[in-house]
Amino acid sequence: MRSRLPVLRAARRYVAFEVDAEEEIEAKDLIHEIRSSQVSLFGDAGAAGNRLKLISFQGRCGLLRCHGAHVQETRAALAAIYSVNGIRVACHVKGVSGTIKSATEKYIPKLRKISSENDGRRIELEEISGCIVHTHGLEIDLCPDERNRTKGSDTRYLGLTSFDLCGGHDDADGTSDGL
Amino acid sequence: MSFYECLKAFPEGSDSPSRLALTAKRLGWQGIIICNEEPRSVFQIKAAEKVRGIGVAVGAEVTAQNARALHSRVFALRARYPLITVRGETDELIKAACEDANVDVLMLGQVWRPLGIAQARAAEQNQIAIGFDLSPLIRLRGSSRSRWMEVAKRNLELARKFHLALAITAGVRSHLDLRSPRDLVALSEVVGFEPSEVDEALNLPARLLELNKRSWIGPGMELL
Repeated sequence: MRSRLPVLRAARRYVAFEVDAEEEIEAKDLIHEIRSSQVSLFGDAGAAGNRLKLISFQGRCGLLRCHGAHVQETRAALAAIYSVNGIRVACHVKGVSGTIKSATEKYIPKLRKISSENDGRRIELEEISGCIVHTHGLEIDLCPDERNRTKGSDTRYLGLTSFDLCGGHDDADGTSDGL
Repeated sequence: MSFYECLKAFPEGSDSPSRLALTAKRLGWQGIIICNEEPRSVFQIKAAEKVRGIGVAVGAEVTAQNARALHSRVFALRARYPLITVRGETDELIKAACEDANVDVLMLGQVWRPLGIAQARAAEQNQIAIGFDLSPLIRLRGSSRSRWMEVAKRNLELARKFHLALAITAGVRSHLDLRSPRDLVALSEVVGFEPSEVDEALNLPARLLELNKRSWIGPGMELL
């Protein structure tokens, strides 16, 4: 297609977003889910007015191109995503910018992938016990021994923090995070 | 404006209060209110107070078998918790909640019938806010979601007509359900809310919390 005159070109905005997911997800699955969410929420006509394109996605943070007048619709489409390929996710918009460069500099931090490796440590508290699946700063995801503990909320893991564990168990190895 | 989110923590959700507080702080909330059905058995509530820069309060959500049980449960919890919400699941419960002045917010989650005129009028007299739980908008797809949106729009029109206060939540049970205030504004606009209405609705739990912490001895009469 021939490029259009600059005055006829629509203003674009770049939406930087962050994905909270239980496991690693593929960029291909994510854009498929974003498009499906957009079409489901606004219909084919609404989606035609706001052509979304995934510029980059690196495991946790990504950049999405949208029409300048439809940023709010893009936010809604991202917020309405519940799962990607059967994996529970939450997409949070970090910021909106006019160029790829400024969006990347302002909102996309150093690459950090989500891994779901079992690091072998266990938590034994009065109410819950299980294996730690991954930790991220103060946040800890726990795979509970009793699977029905997460039944109502449709998640695979229990979300805890190291604040919950300080002095939690006699066998804690005395590390600063209380594990 | 201080935006507070009403949510459920472990054991009714799948996250500890401190994890929810950390995630909510990252997303831009000023505070969270844990509205479990059994507020006494919330897991490690003391740990959530260690998370700095975010307010953590404990409220209560009431669900009951019938109207009589609802009234007695609300009366029992009123003195102990600053925010009482009722999840209206049946017509009988919705009617009972609208007629009980001790209720703060009536949450209309997966209700497939709009609010009645008499119920809206009772809610107006008793100053009960109508809570919109947006979780069906996130979880459902297709015809069931459009049906939910239709009911939500009818409820919104009724709330505007009777000048009812509005509240908006995302029906949070885990950190993956949490959405930032600006994302909730975007989602609410899809349902038909005005941006100013959403701002007030997100501010309502904080306002109610502040009002209920003061000691009222009658309508308009405060013990100083």
